[in-house]
Amino acid sequence: MQQTSTPSRFGSLYGRIRARFQDVPISAWLVGMLAAVLVEALIGRDLAYMLGLGNLPSFFGLSLIFKKWTLIPSIVVFIVVVYVLPALGAVYLVRWAMHRWRGARSVAWVQRIPTRGYIIFNLAFVYVVLHFWAASSDYRLLVLRLLGVNIILTLSLNLVNGWMGEFSVSVAGFMAVGAYVSSVLMVWGFVNDDVFGPAVFPEAWAPYAFPLALIVAGAVTAFTALAVAIPSFRTRGDYLAIITLAYLFIVKSSIENIDFLGGARGFMNQPKVADSLLVVFLWTVLAVWVMHNYVTSTLGKATSAVRDNEPAAEMMTVNTRKVKMVAFLTHAFWSGVAGGLYAHIVGYINPGSFGLVKSAEILGMLYLGGLNSVTGSVLGTVLFTLLSEILRPLKLVKWMVIPVILIVVMIKRPRGLLGFQEIRLPFLERRARAEEEVSHAPAGD
Amino acid sequence: MPLLEIKDLTHFFGGLRAVHKFHTRIEPGEIRGLIGPNGAGKTTVFNLTTGVYKPTQGQILFDGQDITGKPPHEIGRLGISRTYQNLRLWGNLTALDNVKIAFYGRIRYGLLGAFFGLRGRSEEERRIDREARELMALLGIEQYADMVVSGLPYGIQRKVEMARALATRPKLLLLDEPTAGMTPAEMEETMEFVLYIRKTFNLTIWLIEHKMRFVMGLCRWIQVLNFGEIIAEGTPEEVQNNPEVIRAYLGTAVT
Amino acid sequence: MSQVAQQLFNALQWGSFYALIALGYSMVYSILMLFNFAHGDVFMVATYIGYFVATLLLGLALSGSLPLSGVAVFVLTLLLTMFLASFIGIAVERVAYRPLRDAPRASAAITGLMVGIFLETLVLYLLGASRRNFPTLIEVNTFELGPVQVTNLKVLTIVLAVVLMVLLHLFIRKTKVGMAMRAMSYDYAVIPLMGVPLDLIIAFTFALGSALAGAAGVLFGMAYPVLDPYMGVLIGWKAFVAAILGGRGSILGAVAGGFLLGFIEILVAAVLTSTMRDLVAYSIVLLILTFRPYGLFGEEHSVRLRL
Repeated sequence: MQQTSTPSRFGSLYGRIRARFQDVPISAWLVGMLAAVLVEALIGRDLAYMLGLGNLPSFFGLSLIFKKWTLIPSIVVFIVVVYVLPALGAVYLVRWAMHRWRGARSVAWVQRIPTRGYIIFNLAFVYVVLHFWAASSDYRLLVLRLLGVNIILTLSLNLVNGWMGEFSVSVAGFMAVGAYVSSVLMVWGFVNDDVFGPAVFPEAWAPYAFPLALIVAGAVTAFTALAVAIPSFRTRGDYLAIITLAYLFIVKSSIENIDFLGGARGFMNQPKVADSLLVVFLWTVLAVWVMHNYVTSTLGKATSAVRDNEPAAEMMTVNTRKVKMVAFLTHAFWSGVAGGLYAHIVGYINPGSFGLVKSAEILGMLYLGGLNSVTGSVLGTVLFTLLSEILRPLKLVKWMVIPVILIVVMIKRPRGLLGFQEIRLPFLERRARAEEEVSHAPAGD
Repeated sequence: MPLLEIKDLTHFFGGLRAVHKFHTRIEPGEIRGLIGPNGAGKTTVFNLTTGVYKPTQGQILFDGQDITGKPPHEIGRLGISRTYQNLRLWGNLTALDNVKIAFYGRIRYGLLGAFFGLRGRSEEERRIDREARELMALLGIEQYADMVVSGLPYGIQRKVEMARALATRPKLLLLDEPTAGMTPAEMEETMEFVLYIRKTFNLTIWLIEHKMRFVMGLCRWIQVLNFGEIIAEGTPEEVQNNPEVIRAYLGTAVT
Repeated sequence: MSQVAQQLFNALQWGSFYALIALGYSMVYSILMLFNFAHGDVFMVATYIGYFVATLLLGLALSGSLPLSGVAVFVLTLLLTMFLASFIGIAVERVAYRPLRDAPRASAAITGLMVGIFLETLVLYLLGASRRNFPTLIEVNTFELGPVQVTNLKVLTIVLAVVLMVLLHLFIRKTKVGMAMRAMSYDYAVIPLMGVPLDLIIAFTFALGSALAGAAGVLFGMAYPVLDPYMGVLIGWKAFVAAILGGRGSILGAVAGGFLLGFIEILVAAVLTSTMRDLVAYSIVLLILTFRPYGLFGEEHSVRLRL
């Protein structure tokens, strides 16, 4: 992919860092992160206390800057000792080890793992790191799970706003439908509730039924999204944006008017089936994988053809209605699933939590990360969430700082940090290419 | 049997009559010309043929099959493809992706394949990739494959558009002013290029063009459109000397 | 019968609010082809400005430092608020839209949304969570108009809204600046060639729209005196929908859409319950746009619509 935006200072810095660490495999970074997390678990609490940071800071101590700026030196020391040194040390150690035992059988064996297995291995590694990191506080666990939900939301929205080039704002509405449908199903099935009566199934089944409830919730959400998808055949751009806006308000207002859902008071008592990080992590990985597959397939790339020139796409045998339908329904399905996860993480939902503000937040994450980019969506969500947590001590002022940051990013990089680009992992690409050549060269295919 | 037969084609935009009783028969392998002054309805005829508009009246038969009123993607699948007067490439995508997406109608995996990468998908993707690159090589633009198409020079973009049109495996290719904005030398080159792709891909070609030299050099039979009606047709020489045609092009003041 | 006429007046009053705000959306759209998503919050800020201006003037008048009658205070409040609100509009344009004029439109939409959130938070931060009460500028009198009881405030709102719309129309038709705006709504690209100062006209359009939002703010504050920082979200977005309903970028459409939305809402509240108001109103919007995708006064083929 071409670098379409003009190279900025950010770009060159990124390039320099990338060049420095290009040959470091992902696993080495993960080892580094694991080392940092373990060091934190071992000495973090004591060191934080010694440096006067109080209890172990949840987000690298960065938010403490806003509480008391004189703590900055201590925070720097803390970050360097606990995170940077162990991580870099581990990275260099792995690199040295790889170099030292270059031809060894075990290294060769690792390099022979097929790419797919290699990715699964690394994902498992990521999970282990996150798991240990979250083990130290419930707060981190909550933030991580919500991060997973937001990644699903942002990426699925990217499908419509990025690849298809529409401007949908209904994401919070889709989320609401998914949240309520899955909540109703789970409460009806597994909870003794005043409205829905005694539990239908034994409570022990709940964790196994949860995925099913999410899928049903996603499917129902996708069905309601027809209200948006069908008008998209005839209209584009601003008008479709209004239709998605109307959808959002209709959903919110409907829920407020339905008594057995609790109306404006909200709905609670969801069984605790999304308390573990693993559940959310797996769903997030599944969502990213599935949507990544779609947008990298030729079938899915046709979505961008519809965006760039619809009549030409139609002439070049692309069934544009189907493409639009798939984009909207996929967006709705995954937003519904994310909504269901959200409802069970938080354990309480009300129509107010699915308003335009929620949509604006997701839009902020999306445009921060950049359109048309899977890694951009993930990066945007992570950065936005991190920012949001770090700025938390500012309370109200946070919501003045975040908009300003986003405005500045939009002005400096109108297409977002990674718009129409992906973070590339040269190591992985080389590997996949080598594998391709090995498996297909002899066949003369 | 003619490859394309159009009977009694009439189309109104609101109250405006854009095309009136247009008819044609194009035989396989032919290069047919459609000329006429600006606003004569030539592009509208192409749009009607490819299903962009539903004709108010008339019938379009392609390869013995009635395609009147079918949506463009189905007509495209049946074997009609086109290029546009003003390029209509997918500007944010690479040249290669522009060509690959035109394989859409023949992709042999479904949505499940696309989402879950089931067996057959990667094989099919490899096939599309290979065929698209081969096609680009035939047109001499393979070195631009991985570049974003909106950044390419105009001439290359034209070839990418041609490659894209060919990727749908058409039997009939409609070219809407293929030499728009070209110098005479480039025009000569394009003439040879049209003959080359006709031979290589076994095509029938129907083209709209303003440049007489181009039309005269390629087509055996030409139809002239003015105000949506055929005012003349015949061999290049006949058409060139037809007083009606001269009047349509130069205006009534000359007569 | 009188019940119906009563509701009619309510609908006209709400329609006036919506239409005045919707005009701001439409004017900007017709020139830049993008919706100013911060406009609802400009309306909110304008209402607060109106609140401060009114309180100040009323205080001065009551203490005797300024010899002003009640009506004079109202007129001054209205004019000053409109004047000050126009600067909010100019500031929004300068910060959120001018730097992004060549960027993808969606990016500009995001900066607009962010400016809106910023303004809401700023007001909340500066004024705290306690709600402010708009001072009474005009003693509310109820009088009989035939069989109908109306308040002078409602009549004032409707009359003033109509007067402002007529003034706007005349301004756009008769003045040089108005002509430049119209020309820009036809073709943006050639305007600089014609010697029209592009930036100035765009800034002026934002100012004009915000001034109208300021007028709506004062009238709204007088009718519904409790102000809160999120009023812009509620009323602004509805006005936005009204602008779309009429047909984007069309002045007549914005006015018609505003009144139509006012009627729909009042009708729903009267026939069903008021909690169903949003549900039905937006469902109707969805239906209208599904079957008339380009709005009531919009046309499919002309991308740019006439001012």
